[in-house]
Amino acid sequence: MGELNAGYPARPEPLDFGPRGGEETIRLPLPFPDDQTGFDYPRMPAGSPAAPPRPSPGPRPDRDHPAGSVADRPAVVTSGAFTPYAIGDPGRAAGAVVPVPDQENWHRRDSVFDGFSLTAPGDTHHVVRAASVRGLSHRAYGKPRQDEYGYQLTPDGRYLVLCVADGLSSGSRSHLAAEVAVRTGTALLVTALVETPPAELDWEQIVGEVAGHIVAYAKKRLPDGAGMTVDDVVGWMGTTATYAVVDLAGPVLDVHAVMVGDSSAWVLRADGWQALSEVKNAGADVATSAVEALPRVRQRDRPRLHASVRPGEALVLMTDGVGDALGDGRGEVGAFLGTAWRTPPHEVDFVGQIGFGRKSFDDDRTVIAVWPAVPS
Amino acid sequence: MGNSEQGKLLPFYVVIDVSYSMSGDKLATASKIMPSVLDAVAKAPILADKVRFGVVDFSDDAQVRLPLCDILDDGVRLPGLTIRGGTSYSAVFRTLRTEIESNVKQLKADGFLVHRPAVFFISDGAPTEQESVWRSAFEDLTRYDKETKTGFSMYPNFVPFGVDDADPKMLQQLIHPTGGTKPMRMFMQSQDSDAPAAIAAMAEVLISSVLASGESMAQGNSGIILPSDDDLPDGLSSYTADDDFV
Repeated sequence: MGELNAGYPARPEPLDFGPRGGEETIRLPLPFPDDQTGFDYPRMPAGSPAAPPRPSPGPRPDRDHPAGSVADRPAVVTSGAFTPYAIGDPGRAAGAVVPVPDQENWHRRDSVFDGFSLTAPGDTHHVVRAASVRGLSHRAYGKPRQDEYGYQLTPDGRYLVLCVADGLSSGSRSHLAAEVAVRTGTALLVTALVETPPAELDWEQIVGEVAGHIVAYAKKRLPDGAGMTVDDVVGWMGTTATYAVVDLAGPVLDVHAVMVGDSSAWVLRADGWQALSEVKNAGADVATSAVEALPRVRQRDRPRLHASVRPGEALVLMTDGVGDALGDGRGEVGAFLGTAWRTPPHEVDFVGQIGFGRKSFDDDRTVIAVWPAVPS
Repeated sequence: MGNSEQGKLLPFYVVIDVSYSMSGDKLATASKIMPSVLDAVAKAPILADKVRFGVVDFSDDAQVRLPLCDILDDGVRLPGLTIRGGTSYSAVFRTLRTEIESNVKQLKADGFLVHRPAVFFISDGAPTEQESVWRSAFEDLTRYDKETKTGFSMYPNFVPFGVDDADPKMLQQLIHPTGGTKPMRMFMQSQDSDAPAAIAAMAEVLISSVLASGESMAQGNSGIILPSDDDLPDGLSSYTADDDFV
């Protein structure tokens, strides 16, 4: 580590994604006190207004140095703190679960997040936040995060395509189905939007094509995959997918969306949460966890969801890890998230917020939210 | 519209025969079931947040000894069991039906989603009443027609455990459901075992079912998972609704 400790690097360099735990492990100075956040390396996007001040370059006590020398360090003004969010009783699991890695999927990240802005007219910005966090129960039982999200802008910058996907817990490779649904689905939509406006998109064809990609992936990559039927594939790797196309042209964002399964789409309005589709399990005597899942496409003439999102509001796509807790949006979870997301939070705060503790809610959590630019 | 933002719960009802024949070591062992369950749940925080337990005992009548609750909550006291009298299955089936209906309704009113309840039913004898009486009470507890939506929509998964003089052919008729994607099974004391050992083994089966169900819920399934024959503790044998007894 000799050279690396010679001085504080100007900026942290990305860590190698290679095998971990060997002698090659390099500890770089991190802006967080330690790496318990579960992220591979924290990134502070340049220009983010809420980014904490960086430590100024200069002499730095060696990490391996005895603790006695800390008192010699010049006083530095620091700020910020993290306390896990809880909505009501966080439950026993929130404090007691010992997270263990998934030993079958070393390259599957526990949690991921993004935050960025898109230029809008008048020197303003649409703001996007996205995060996917492994649930407490997957952490406790050493299973992978099966949720995924994705986004892609059309080359002309007119449309932002979003997707959240929730791999079926029953399939051991469902996280891969979620990845395929997100990546191929957003790419196919971006391609389609070059020629076709959102209102005229052939969603059946796109959803069918995504299903085809999942089946093709399974046939190629799963053990004995070549002879698998669609039902076989769902048993190994199935996923929900909710897609949205956001027209960024006007001050009011026009949104077209389609759901396969129960990942939901909402508009957070001044007067509360408005679902773009019916809320799950409303009215059932005994709860069911049966959902439609790719690559098995059951529904024909899938409802086209449509919404307008005004400045001051937000479009929010979420998997049921958040959606089930949100319910119809009129309870404690709706109030908490509604307040927290009235304006775009810092991207790291956003991760903490979707990771809220609430008794018995231990599923993976994934959200993408878009705040339209507010005219200056 | 239901405001269901309190999470999903999995209710378990442990039903214990306290007729005269259960006296002695059998009752002493049965009394240790709930403390063992509590210990196991306390060590599994994911599960602890979503399982609820109730205890019902029965002889000539049935009594709710522990109303459905979170057994790790402060203030919960596990009930002791005392011997009372004869064996009325109809009394306990009726009590279960009333209890399940009111518990599920209450939990839903409180904003919870509720998985199908599971009943673990431990008995060492046969009912001291006419067959038609207990049969009709069992029908009321378990029959539901999805098509016409008639019957009891909150019907439980019913898992009978038999020790000593319990008649396997009779108890077998209490397995519910017997078909579908998740058929239940029955557990009987093995011939080379004694009743207290079998009851201790039943506690193990109960606990492993609860733990497995919790993990299964984590994997998106609902309903209970019974241990496979390979994982069965000594002292018990497992049967399906189709097994023959001669």
